[in-house]
Parts: sequence; structure tokens; C-alpha cells
Amino acid sequence: MTADPRTRVRSLDDPQLFVETPATIYDAVPPYPPSTEREAEFYTLRDGEMLINLGPQHPSTHGVLRVVLKIDGERVVDLDPVLGYLHRGVEKICENSDWHMVVSHCDPLEYIAAMFSELVPVMAAEQLLDVTVPRRAEYIRVLACELNRIASHALFIGWLALDLGGLTPILYGFIERDEIVEMLAALTGQRLLFNYMRIGGVNGDLNHEFMSRLGDWMGHAARHVNDSQTLINENEIFVKRTRGLGRIDRETALRMCLTGPPLRATGVPYDVRRAHPYGVYPELEFEIPVREEGDSYARYMLHLDEIRQSIHIIDQVLHQMPDGPVTAKLPRLLRPRPGRAFAAIESPRGQYAVYAMSDGSDQPFRLRIHDPSYFNLQSVGLLTPGHLIADTMAIMASLDPIMGGVDK
Amino acid sequence: MLTRSWSRLTLAGKVVLPLVAVLGGLTALLMLGVVLGIVQPITAFLVETLSLNGGLVRFVVAALAVLLFAIPTAFIIGFLELKVIAFMNLRLGPNRVGPWGALSAAFHGFKILAKEDFTPTGADVPVFTLAPVIVFLAPVLGFLVLPFAPGLFGQDMNLAVLYFFAMSGLGVVGLIMAGWSSFNKYSLLGALRAAAQIISYEIPLTLSVVGVIMLAGTLSLNGIVLQQAGSFLDWFAFRQPLGFVIFFIAATAEGNRTPFDLSEADSEIVAGYATEYSGMRFGFFYFAEYVNVFLLSALTVVLFLGGWLAPFDLGGVLHQIGVAFDPRLDPGSLGIGLLIGLLVVPLLIIIGLAVPFWLAKPGLAFWKALIIGFLLFNVLAAGAVLLWAVASFEVVQGLLWFMAKTYAFVVILVWMRATLPRVRIDQLMGFAWKWLIPAALLNLFVTALAVVVVDAVTR
Repeated sequence: MTADPRTRVRSLDDPQLFVETPATIYDAVPPYPPSTEREAEFYTLRDGEMLINLGPQHPSTHGVLRVVLKIDGERVVDLDPVLGYLHRGVEKICENSDWHMVVSHCDPLEYIAAMFSELVPVMAAEQLLDVTVPRRAEYIRVLACELNRIASHALFIGWLALDLGGLTPILYGFIERDEIVEMLAALTGQRLLFNYMRIGGVNGDLNHEFMSRLGDWMGHAARHVNDSQTLINENEIFVKRTRGLGRIDRETALRMCLTGPPLRATGVPYDVRRAHPYGVYPELEFEIPVREEGDSYARYMLHLDEIRQSIHIIDQVLHQMPDGPVTAKLPRLLRPRPGRAFAAIESPRGQYAVYAMSDGSDQPFRLRIHDPSYFNLQSVGLLTPGHLIADTMAIMASLDPIMGGVDK
Repeated sequence: MLTRSWSRLTLAGKVVLPLVAVLGGLTALLMLGVVLGIVQPITAFLVETLSLNGGLVRFVVAALAVLLFAIPTAFIIGFLELKVIAFMNLRLGPNRVGPWGALSAAFHGFKILAKEDFTPTGADVPVFTLAPVIVFLAPVLGFLVLPFAPGLFGQDMNLAVLYFFAMSGLGVVGLIMAGWSSFNKYSLLGALRAAAQIISYEIPLTLSVVGVIMLAGTLSLNGIVLQQAGSFLDWFAFRQPLGFVIFFIAATAEGNRTPFDLSEADSEIVAGYATEYSGMRFGFFYFAEYVNVFLLSALTVVLFLGGWLAPFDLGGVLHQIGVAFDPRLDPGSLGIGLLIGLLVVPLLIIIGLAVPFWLAKPGLAFWKALIIGFLLFNVLAAGAVLLWAVASFEVVQGLLWFMAKTYAFVVILVWMRATLPRVRIDQLMGFAWKWLIPAALLNLFVTALAVVVVDAVTR
């Protein structure tokens, strides 16, 4: 290492070679000496190995994930994920804002399915306040969440195909998502970050435009997802590239705290909607799709099954929807009782939970957010070594991380 | 504005733009010369007085023509790719520049000329600069031996097939140079992938053609086309079905097209060997890719689908249905009638076409109806001229068939790009060595056996 690491940087492979490039945060080798044993081991290269930066700006890292790959030819020997490029300190921001503002701060965490990340803190606050949410509001929440789940899964299918080199399914997925997002925009006024959930209910009742769009959509629900399914389900190249890839067994998946599709693809029927029911889910009839293989293909097929179940749930919700108010009567300044509350829901990516502590003031004392993307993503280190570079993308895409939630 | 535009051009642009202008001017002059009939005497004069080799003159003219042909071809295929993939993705695609966005690919090309030409620190500058030129020139040189139509080819080499594969092998050198000199690991990975892939797939590509060569008994592409004369069942695609399939798959891999576009896989290694390139140098890679697509489709057509041969006799059909034009008609014999005809008949047709629009749509100004009539007349006239040319000249008909078949294959390649995901590098290599090469060898063996047996029986 030279005396001033800001102006000169060690070349990526050869410590003797110097390049006249200013040091940036994007260099594969950190500009400081290794701080842990693992880091020292990772950044020591054996013969024929090299380090390569995947991200934070890379076409297929889904946001700003950065992974330093140690490769031997095309084979990935080891990898070191570097997180935090999207860190905003949401938990700390929430501690300094009152309970109503928490909703909009938590909104962008899971930005592909924002309904879920705003529903959880709301549920935690409701537990602390001992509020009973009106029945109609509960049904509307389920309706909005399941619609958002389909929108998220439609994008997942497209992304997986795009990372494997298929151009078309992503656009079919976006058509599906756009129809749903337009529908939700009619309901909430926003296309991406809805800010729709309120403590004690939802922001507004179902309106005519939403219902007419929903009716149109239900007539051909998930048509474009089915289109892309015919395009890639039986596609020889797709199947050969995903089947048996990134296989994880049941015990390891449980030990690594995987939830959602990656866990259910290993054969564990864990779904928060059934395991720890919330809202009106106990009254609805739906199955929890499970696959045994635990590989990328199983995770992909599982998403398709879940889309079908979500459509089934939406159908039931529309038939059972009661009349009534959509918000509970609450004071404008909320002061929950001192205490702790834990709320968990099943987001498209797994168990999304919030552990909230209140000291009796109008602000949360502590708000711990458990994001499933983070726990699913950590299995990349276990799944990827030994595979090829191209498989890294297929594995990461099939785990479907959202970096907003991972970096918080 | 001109000076400002000029000062915004990069060095490469300042070199290329005058070159394009000069070449365009020369083409215009050449066309004018052809029309006025002065080219033939000049060529004859050059050949006689300077005792120049006729073949050399032909080669220079052909090289110039091929260069001029390559650029519009790249634009057309680029536009096709944008539009066809958009159609398959349920998008609109380009629709702003020109009718149906037809000029957008060309405008991309001109935009790229004005972009910054960036050389990364640590790059091996001479190699980095030379690489795109080699990558672009390799497919363009392949055009020289391609028979577009009877009598319309650059050079009728008796080793054309070998020359062709040599040229497509040259392209790999450029890719490796680009990947190595960029000082970027993604580029290096892309270059190594390209090298492994193209060298592996060159073997089945060549082996699948050997069967055709055995049947045709010649290495000349012209000769191979002429060997397929007859009905369309005489095309080599029907006599060598396995060879045809192997050739098309291997050609897809050779041209770095989906599902074998590993060397520029954007979701894995960013842009492969082209990662560090920008401006016109990047444009050269793009041009090379599209020219390659055309070239490989054209070679498939020439080797297996009869080249410029018609599946049925279009000229004969036209004569049959009465659309017969006599190319030997002497316009001079019409005398003053020609002048009157040229002045009056188009006018009458234009007015005749305009009147129905004017009557059908109240409020439409007559001059607007006249414009519509004029455009319609142009379309009709162009169609009539084309029909006349097809009926009268074998070259035009051959060119038409050749282009139709070639662009059908181009569209198939684009279709595959819109539909298929990408294979993995080990699957790619395994496919070449475990399936394609044994199949190609089997095809070769069966063909050789059949040729020997048929020879023995017929002797």
C-alpha cells in the first residue's frame, strides 16, 4: 500500500502494479488493510484468481447491490456482498417522527410492493393503541396487498427472464404491473409509493374508477403473466439454466432465516398468512403453494402458483366485502401506551415484521424492521460459490431482493 | 451552425464525416456516369492506356461498392431489430424519426459520430484503436465474394467458401484485441468467451458446409448456387437437412446472436468486449454485428436455399398474366408521341387519382388532393417500374429473391433474440462439442457415402 491511498490505488490483481487513477469506493480491494480474518482471506488471491466488481452499477443487480466476486476463469470461487449503498437510516428517522409519519417513511423500503412495508408499522401501532380496525378496512387492506403481490410477482418473472437474457417477459410483466398500478393509483393517488394505510384503517374507501378498472382486470387477470409463462416455462434453455441451480435444503434454509418463496420452495409450508394469521385471512380460503426442489426453477414456479392464489383471494374478498367505515375513530395526536408490539405479515418476499417499542410519547421509541430481502439475500454467499458468473445473476434474481429493504 | 456542429465533432467524426461526404459524392458521380454512359469508356481507357489489370479495377470498384452497401444494411437491420422486437414485446418501438421510425437507426449512427471518444486510462492505445476497425472490416470483406444476383458479385473466387470462413475468423482477432486492450475485466471475460465460442463453433460451421461442397463439387459460391438450379426441391436445404440445421445454429453462434450472445451478455458482463468503448468506436462494433447478421443469413441462403434462384419463375408468371414489357422497346421510335406521353399521361393519372379523394372528402382543398394523387402516382409508378424490371432483367429478379430470403433469415434471428434466453458458457461449449460436431461428422460421413454409392451406381 502507498502512503496516500486517496491518490494512488493498488491494482486489482498485482500489488506491484500501480495505475494512476484516483481511488474510488468502487475499487474491488478496499483502501484499508483487512480488518477481519475473513476479509484477509477473501482479498488474498491464489494463482489464477481475480476479483471483479459486480455493481453497484450493473445491469442485473436490481438496484445498488454490490458484490465482489472472486473468480477463477468463469467460476465463482467466493463472494463478498457489500451493502449499504441505499442506507437511509429509516429506523432512526422513524424514532424522530410521530406515528402517522412512520407510514410514509417505511413506504419506500420495499418499493416494488409498497403496500406491505406500510402495512406492518401500522399494524404494530394498532396493537399498541388497542384499536379495532373496521371490517371493511381489513378487507380493503387484503385487496390492496394481494393486488400489489401480483404486481410484484409479475415483475419477478420478468426480471428472472431478463437476467437470463430473455427480453420479452419483463415487458409482459410490466404490462400486468401497469394495469394493477393504475388501478391502485385510482385508489390511492400514487403509482409507486402509495401511502394508503392509516393507523386504524385505510386512507379512502373504494371508488368507482378503481372498481371499474379492477373489474376489467379480473376479466383477464394475469393474462400477460400467463403469456410469458408459455414463453419460458417449458423453454429448454430456461429450464436447463434454472433447474438444480442455487439449490438449498430445508435445514439450511431454516437456519439462514429464509422466508417467503425461497423457504416454501424447499418444502416448508410457512406462510405468515396461515402460520400467524392477521387481518381477515383466517376467513379466506386459499392454499399455500409448496415445492420440494429448492432450486431457482422451483422458486420461479412458486411465484406463478402464488399469483393464482392471490387472484383467488381477490375474488373472495370482492364477494365478502362488507359495508361500513374504513377508519377507526382516533385522536389526531396518537400517544400509544408504553410497551412493545410485534407485527408480521407475508410480503411477496417473505415475512416482513416490525418490532415497535413505545415510551408513551407520540413518537416510537424504537422501530426495528425485519425485512425478508435481507435474510433471503444472505443465502447468496452460500449458494453461489462453485457456480459460473452467469449463474450468480440467476440465483440473485430468483431470491428477488429489494435493495431498499436490505439497506433500510 | 455548421462551424459549431463541426467543432463539436470528435476527431474520429472529423475524419469519418468528410470521408462519408467524399464517398457519397463519388457514388453520386458514379451513378451519373452510369446514366450518361461515360463510365464504360473511362474504364476501357484506363485498362488500355495504363494497361491495368481488369480484375484489379473490378476489385477496387467492388470494394468501394461493398463498403457503401454495408452501412445502409447495418441501418436497415438495426431498424428491423428495434421494430420487430418492439412488436413482439407489445411496444410501439421507434416512431418519431421518419415514417414508422425508419430513420431512427440511421440517426443513432449519426449521433454516435458526435459523441465523445473516450480511451480509458491503462488501455493499450494502438490495439484499442485498431480493434474496432478489424472487427468491422472482417464481415465487410466477406461481402466481396457474395453472389447477390447472376453476374452481381465482387469477385468469383474459386476458394470463396474458404475465404469467407477466413474472414469471419479474422473478426475474433479484433474481439480479443478489444477485450485485452480495454484494461477492464468484463472486457477480458467477454473477449475470452468470444474466442472460445467462435473457435468452437467454427468447426461445426465448416464441417456442415463440407457436405454441400461435396455435392456441388466446387468451392465457388457462384458455382454452388448454380448447382442448385431447378425446382426449389433441388436446394441443398432439402438434400442436406441436417447440415442446414447445424449450419444455421453454428452461424447464430458465430454472429454472437441470442441465444449465443455470451460475449456481450449485458446482464452478466455489462457489454463484454465493448464495455470501455464509446462514440464511433462503439458504433463500429454495432455496425459489425448487424453486417455480420446480414452476412451469415446471406451465406445460409447461398449455400442452402439457392441464393438468387427463384423458387418459381416470377418473370414467366408475369408474362403469363400479361404484365409483359419488352425491354428492347426503342423510345425514340415514338417520336413526338413520347414527349406528349411523358408530359400528359402522368398529369392525367395524377388528376385521375386526386379527383376521387377531392369528391369523397368535402372541404379538402384541391391542391391537397393533388398531392395525395401525386404520392399515389409515385407508388404506382415505382411498382410498375419494379414489375417491369423483374419481368425484364434476370439480375433484378435474382437480387429480389436473394434479398427476400436473406431478410427472412434476418427476421428469424431477430425473432430468436426476442424469444430465447441466453445459454450458459458450459452449456454452449458442451452443445458445440458433444452434439454439433458429432452430428456434423455424421452428416459428412453419410453424404460422402451417398456420393460414392451414387457415383458407383450411375457409372
